Amino acid sequence: MDFSYTPQEEEFRAELRAWLKENLPPGWLEGNHKLPEDPKEEEAFLRAWQHKLADGHWAGVSWPKEYGGRGASLIEQVIYEEEMARVDAPPQVNAIGIGMIGPTIIALGTEEQKKRYVPKILNAEEVWCQGYSEPNAGSDLAALTTRATLEGDHWVVNGQKIWTSYAHLADRCFLLLRTKENPQNKHDGLTCLLVDMHQPGVEPRPIHQMNDHRDFNETFFNNAIVPKDEVLGEVNNGWYAAVVLLSFERVSVANVAFRLQQAYDGLLAYCKRHERNGRPLIQDPLVRNRLAGYHARVHAAKLNFYRNLTRQIKTGRPGPEGSMDKLYCSELLKELNGYAVSLQGAQGELWQDAEEEGKWQEEYLSSFAMTIAGGTSEIQKNIIAERMLGLPKDIKY
Amino acid sequence: MDFSLSDDQLMLQQNARQFFTAQRGTRPARKAMEGDVASTKALWKQMAELGYPAITIAEAFGGAGEGFLSLVPVLEEAGRVLAPGPLPETVGFAVPLLTRLGTQAQKQQYLQGIADGSEIVTLAFYESSCDAFAGQATVTAERTAAGFRLNGQKVLVPNADLATALIVLARTTAGPAGEGLSLFIVDPKASGVQMRLQRPMDQTRPLFAVSFEQTEVGEEALIGPLDEGWTAAEEALRTLAVSLSVLSVGAMDACVEQSAEYAKTRVQFGQPIGRFQAVKHRIVDMKVNLETARSLTYYAAWALEEGSSDRHVAAADAKSFTAQAFVRVANANIQNHGGMGFTWEAEPHLYAKRAKAWENYIGSPEAHLDYIAAAQGW
Ligand SMILES: Cc1cc2nc3c(=O)[nH]c(=O)nc-3n(C[C@H](O)[C@H](O)[C@H](O)COP(=O)(O)OP(=O)(O)OC[C@H]3O[C@@H](n4cnc5c(N)ncnc54)[C@H](O)[C@@H]3O)c2cc1C
Repeated sequence: MDFSYTPQEEEFRAELRAWLKENLPPGWLEGNHKLPEDPKEEEAFLRAWQHKLADGHWAGVSWPKEYGGRGASLIEQVIYEEEMARVDAPPQVNAIGIGMIGPTIIALGTEEQKKRYVPKILNAEEVWCQGYSEPNAGSDLAALTTRATLEGDHWVVNGQKIWTSYAHLADRCFLLLRTKENPQNKHDGLTCLLVDMHQPGVEPRPIHQMNDHRDFNETFFNNAIVPKDEVLGEVNNGWYAAVVLLSFERVSVANVAFRLQQAYDGLLAYCKRHERNGRPLIQDPLVRNRLAGYHARVHAAKLNFYRNLTRQIKTGRPGPEGSMDKLYCSELLKELNGYAVSLQGAQGELWQDAEEEGKWQEEYLSSFAMTIAGGTSEIQKNIIAERMLGLPKDIKY
Repeated sequence: MDFSLSDDQLMLQQNARQFFTAQRGTRPARKAMEGDVASTKALWKQMAELGYPAITIAEAFGGAGEGFLSLVPVLEEAGRVLAPGPLPETVGFAVPLLTRLGTQAQKQQYLQGIADGSEIVTLAFYESSCDAFAGQATVTAERTAAGFRLNGQKVLVPNADLATALIVLARTTAGPAGEGLSLFIVDPKASGVQMRLQRPMDQTRPLFAVSFEQTEVGEEALIGPLDEGWTAAEEALRTLAVSLSVLSVGAMDACVEQSAEYAKTRVQFGQPIGRFQAVKHRIVDMKVNLETARSLTYYAAWALEEGSSDRHVAAADAKSFTAQAFVRVANANIQNHGGMGFTWEAEPHLYAKRAKAWENYIGSPEAHLDYIAAAQGW
């Protein structure tokens, strides 16, 4: 057992820190983390930020060097997430493209597809969205009904997706749909298409979220056109490509683990700074007890993650353990943010006008998504039960 | 032993259910979220016509002269739809306070006014270094020839834009926490009163910072004995705590109903999600939380009505448990709805925000638990 980093890894960290110091938006390191309020300005801001990251080769560090990445090791990827969380770096508008879709195209795409799409992902020249979920196919993804039929040299797509994050900003969509008349089972006859979002047959409609953002969408496909060769992987074997894509989602759990650390650090600082009933919160025995509990649990979140990472490095493949990390981290983050709001006492009921500019309220409300998106906590538990413990499967139809 | 609502109370409940259903459930709450004060005012007017704010007001002042338990069914129904307006502050605080301590003239003006819907009262207690609002009152009321002069700022005043009267806790004599404080009833349109919206998480319930600058009030603005405002307020705050608990029980009932309904109709993997025990059992936990909160709350309401000696502890039991249970229940309701639960259009987030807003209102759960411990002599 060894919890230290190699000199090479430390160098990676130092290089990133130096780059961030130079390149983060003005005022960011001094604590001004506000994004522009106007949606158009926000989009421009985020695209510019991602472009900058790409220029510095700090977008998609896990990507092979030949595709503009750094070929970073798993450990380096984790260092990257840790450092980005530490400075609370602005989000990457093309996070889904970089984290999941790009790597999937690199893994399964044709040379032509790699050439056409991959270079434009890192610098956010083309923003991607992931069209999986449908109104009647969420946890039960394979129940999806959006379909494509081949007409001459192109596919014609009809149906509806929902919860499609950033579809309203996206230039392209990684779309999972049905292409077979009489499938043998619901995983058969699915196909992944790479779809141009800028066409009359595609209409994203942003959905208002409980945190007052509008990041996800209903996405309607009405005779949308996709050239015949824009299939990723094989026709009718799309479930495989879909699962490959989801396996890349697992790395992004690192991000949550470090956000947890960030949240904990912020909470601790809050308790040292603020008084309640005439003494600093940090001296209140009840608060000390809760905080110390979070100290252990947040530390454990990272250790769990590192142990899982070690196993992954040794075996060379991700496993169901990723579900445990996701479950543990997302549930804990939701709880911790809720506690931060509680600690503000009666004033916690404010939102934008709350202490620290409403940062904790924003985090609290946003964290309700964490236990739903990317597979709900209940679905993670099923994966752990069935794949790690060999418990009998639910009866599913 | 009969732990149930009376026939009259049940009828009132049916009546209130019908009324709020006719308002299309949370629609008035959503109007309030958009800043539509006129709509909340209109709702209040209708509630007054049905006699809801008048239930516990003495007949001599145009009320129904009923006990606190008769308020329970109406509050519970109002809670189910998160009805906007300072209903708990008016009927749960102002009415018992004025009934006990108001002068004849105050009763005539305010109790009569509340009964006929012309007076809407809210609470200006918190200050920016808040939490235990007992001690920290720095708003001052100095003696003048004709009465008092108020200076300072209150925060988190619910519905100050709608209210016709504010009950203000102010310092009249220097002293330690809880002493030297007095209660005043103040017209928010009085000179020197300014209000600024504080954007709340629960937007159905706008909050305001209200400042007083050389605000002159007459002698008749003082409620109860001078310098003993905190003691006077405490008893009424228990009634408010129980009122909030009843409203919360109603809201939790709505959450349980929403989850159960969704679990019966939402199909995944070829079956209603309610067949999965992860979902089914979670809804059962919600139900147990709800019914437990209801037991504690009904009991506290009965204890208040009877004036029984354990009424303060009963109120603290109810408020501390219900405040936390409401958060658990409302949050579970979001999770049960999956992606839908994260949307603005769906109902669950309204309840989760209300739950979080009321968690610490009128004392945190920890503060109420402390009170329970102290009251046991520990
Ligand atoms: C912020 C956010 C962003 C998202 N972004 C995207 C995106 O970019 N692209 C995309 O395709 N999708 C996206 N999603 C959708 C997400 O993947 C789904 O919401 C999620 O898989 C749950 O599906 P559902 O919403 O249909 O809920 P349902 O599947 O209907 O679940 C409802 C409840 O039933 C439970 N449940 C369901 N099945 C079982 C079972 N077998 N056992 C036990 N309990 C069960 C669930 O856990 C949940 O509590 C996003 C969601 C959110 C909240």
